[in-house]
Amino acid sequence: MANTVIGSSIVVDGEISGEELLTILGTVKGKIAMAGGVVVEAGATVEADVEGQTVTVSGKLTGNVTARERLELRPESKMVGNAKAPRIVVADGATFKGNVDMDV
Amino acid sequence: MADMQTVIGVETRVSGEIRGGEDLVVKGRVDGKIQLSHSLTVDKGAIVQADVDVKSLIVSGTLVGNIVASESVRLHASARVVGDLASPRVMMEAGAAYRGRVDMGDIEAARAAVASRAVARPVAGRAEVARERPAPPRVAAPPRTAALPAKSAPRFVAPAAVGRPAAAPASPAAPPAFPRVAGAVSSAAPAWAKKKVRRR
Repeated sequence: MANTVIGSSIVVDGEISGEELLTILGTVKGKIAMAGGVVVEAGATVEADVEGQTVTVSGKLTGNVTARERLELRPESKMVGNAKAPRIVVADGATFKGNVDMDV
Repeated sequence: MADMQTVIGVETRVSGEIRGGEDLVVKGRVDGKIQLSHSLTVDKGAIVQADVDVKSLIVSGTLVGNIVASESVRLHASARVVGDLASPRVMMEAGAAYRGRVDMGDIEAARAAVASRAVARPVAGRAEVARERPAPPRVAAPPRTAALPAKSAPRFVAPAAVGRPAAAPASPAAPPAFPRVAGAVSSAAPAWAKKKVRRR
């Protein structure tokens, strides 16, 4: 398993960068820059600017998101911040506040 | 998903602070500080440059920083560790390279010492050492208590904490604060450390 997981009772204060899939169940504050995907699971709290290939949010995310491929806001997710991605999926039930930039 | 174990993957780097109440396995790189009420495992190939305050610590990779482990520390054969170490139980396998000071006595004093010094401690000198891999030749590792009779893996097992009189007064020669290891890199470092640093 070459992935990174931040467990539900873990708090990371700082910067996470890397080349693989990052799954967050806990709390991350600071900055996230991954070459792979970033998954914010239900129950997770992210207060960070996020950069990733694909960004999937089921939990709570505060910060600007840049997804090179796709940003997905799942039902029950809460996001506050600007979203920049060529494809953005917002599911029914997701809460979102911020600007959207799809590079049109 | 809640039962997923916390892992910092091979290709991931965290700089900053990690706190938490569960086990953490580092396979990649962490710079900063790690504070856990559970165990920390530094896998083979991982580089951790951080002050560590955990319950138990298992090192197979490289760890640079001061260590406080309230339960135990185990250094496997592939471990490369530089930093002061405070824990009631310390196990080092043959082949483990360690430089620093071990204190199996007062954990709380050591913890306070690490905490108070964390901000001021210069890190620059240590970074050089942390990047050194392949690791130093094993022959140069600190004295490994070869006289111990045990043939099985943990060559160096501390006398259990219970056997130690808790009230033993700290000798005047052993101040509660550990010496700064960073300074030692330049002057009092073993030959292998100097050589490695110079090469870069």
